[in-house]
Amino acid sequence: MTILDLQRVTKRFGDKQVLKGLDLTVPTGAIFGFVGENGAGKTTTMKLILGLDTLDGGQITVAGQPVRYGRAVANQVVGYLPDVPAYYGYMTSTEYLTLCGRLTGMREPDLSNRITEMLRTVDLPQNKHRIHGFSRGMKQRLGIAQALLNRPQLLICDEPTSALDPNGRSEFLKLLASLRGEMTILFSTHILTDVERISDQVGILHAGVLQVQGNLTALKHRYARSQVQLKFASSAIAQQAVAVMGRPATQTATHVAVPFQDDYAATVAAVLKALLAAHVVPLAVDRQETSLEDIFREVTT
Amino acid sequence: MSAILTFWHKEWLAAWRNYHILILAVIFVIFGIEAPLMAKLMPDLMKLALGDQFSIKLPQSTSSDSWQQFYKNTSQIGIFLLALVFSGTVSQEVSSGTLVNLITKGLPRYAVIIAKYLAAVVQWVVAIGVSFIITWGYTAYYFPDDKSPHVWLAIWPVLLFGLFFVAVVLLGSTVVNSNYAGFLVAALVFASLALLNYVKAVKRWNPIALVTDNLDLVRGTEKITHILPACGVTVAAALVILGVTIWTFNQKRL
Repeated sequence: MTILDLQRVTKRFGDKQVLKGLDLTVPTGAIFGFVGENGAGKTTTMKLILGLDTLDGGQITVAGQPVRYGRAVANQVVGYLPDVPAYYGYMTSTEYLTLCGRLTGMREPDLSNRITEMLRTVDLPQNKHRIHGFSRGMKQRLGIAQALLNRPQLLICDEPTSALDPNGRSEFLKLLASLRGEMTILFSTHILTDVERISDQVGILHAGVLQVQGNLTALKHRYARSQVQLKFASSAIAQQAVAVMGRPATQTATHVAVPFQDDYAATVAAVLKALLAAHVVPLAVDRQETSLEDIFREVTT
Repeated sequence: MSAILTFWHKEWLAAWRNYHILILAVIFVIFGIEAPLMAKLMPDLMKLALGDQFSIKLPQSTSSDSWQQFYKNTSQIGIFLLALVFSGTVSQEVSSGTLVNLITKGLPRYAVIIAKYLAAVVQWVVAIGVSFIITWGYTAYYFPDDKSPHVWLAIWPVLLFGLFFVAVVLLGSTVVNSNYAGFLVAALVFASLALLNYVKAVKRWNPIALVTDNLDLVRGTEKITHILPACGVTVAAALVILGVTIWTFNQKRL
C-alpha cells in the first residue's frame, strides 16, 4: 500500500528545470527521509504534493486522491510542518490551533480536547501568552501540534530540524519516531544523520530526479563499501603500509582505508600479518560501515 | 461558507488585537465631533483671526456648513485612512507566509479574499456610520434649522462607494507584494476618477459622484436619481474587481 505516489513530475521556474520527471513512492506507515542538497527541489516537491504550486507535468496522488493545485481534497488527510512556520503573532497557541482545527472540519468538543492533548504532547503551556513572544523552538513545537491536530494519515515536514539547536533537534526526532505506526511521515532534510536515526525508507533527490529510493538497510547492503580503517603514526609510515599490504588501499594523511567484501576478521588478520612482517605497526584498527553519506556521495557525484 | 466565517472571525481578531479598530474608532469619532464643532466655532474663530480692523459681517453657520465639513473630512481624509489600514491585508500575509498552513488545511483561496473584503467593508460602514451619527446628533443640537432636509439620504452613496474602494485596495494588495500597494493603487484610481469627472458625458456614471455630490443631496439641490447610474457602475465595478482579485490570488505562489 502506498499513501503517496509521484509519477513523472516536472517543474520549471524560468530557465531552471527543478524537477525532471520525478518518481517517488512512499509506502503507508513508513518514515521516509527525503534527502537532497540545498536547492535540489525538496521544498518544491513538497509544495506540489500540498497543492500549493502548479505541476508542469506528471501526476501526484495522496491516499489514492489526485492532488490538484488549489484544491483541498488531499489536504484533509495531510499534516504539514514548514521549515520556518509562520503564525499570527497576536494569537495565543489555543486560538491558532482552534483556527486550524475549524478549517480542517473539526468541531467541538473534539477540537478543544484535541488541542489540550496536542499542547501537552509538544510540551507547550495552555495559557494566554501570544505567539509573538514564543522562542523558535516553541514555534516549531506549535508547528508540530498544528500539523498533527487533525490526525493526518500523512505528515509532511520540510527541513524540520534545520532551525533547532542540538537538544531541540534530538527532542523533535524522538517525537517523530514516537509517531511510527500512527501515520506515515515524509520529511526532507540535508542532515543525513537525522535520516539514519529515525527513517526506514530513504529517497535521494539530485539533478531533478530521485537517484535512489528504498529501505535504508537494503540500500546500505546494495551500496556496501565496508572498509578497514588503519591509523599510523605518520604519513610516511602510512605510505609504507600501503606498499607492503599487497591489496587495494587508499591513504589519506595518516589513515589508510582497506575495502573488503566478505569477512571483516579475515581481512584484518591478513592485513595485520602483512604489516607486521614488514615491521609496520598501526596505532589503531577500526571497522567503517557504509553510511547514508557514502550512498549520498556515490549517487550524487 | 464555513471557511469564510472562520477566516472572517480571524480577520476581526486581527483588527482588534492590532489596534486597527481602536485607531479607526478614535479618528472617526473625532471626525464626527469636529465637523459640527468647527461649523459652530468658525465665525468666532474668523472674528478672532481678523481682529477689529475688518468690519465684514460674517454669515451665521448652518447645519449645511456642518455637513460640508463632514463630507470634506470623509472624502478627503477618511476614505484614504481606511485604504491605508487595509493596504497590506493580503500582501502582508503572502510575504510572511502565514497563509501556507491554513491553505494546506483546506482553506479555499477565494475564502481568504471574500472574508477580508467583507470584514473591510463592515469596518468601512461602521467607521463612517459612527462618525455620521455623531455629526448628525451634534448638528441637530447646534443647528436646529431646515437647511439640510436629506441628511440620511446623502450618506448611502458614501457607504456604497466603500464596496468599490475596498475592492480596489484589496486588488492592489493582491497584485503587488508591498504593504503600501493597496493604498497607492486606490489613491491612483481615485485620482483617475477625479480627472475623469471633468468629462461631462461620464459624470453621472462616475463612481466618484458617490463621494462628491453628497452636500447637494443633503441640501436637496440634487436628487438621488441623478447619481443612480454612478451607483450601478460602482456596484458592478466592485463585483468585477473582486472577481479579478480572487482570480489573481488563485494564481499567486505562496
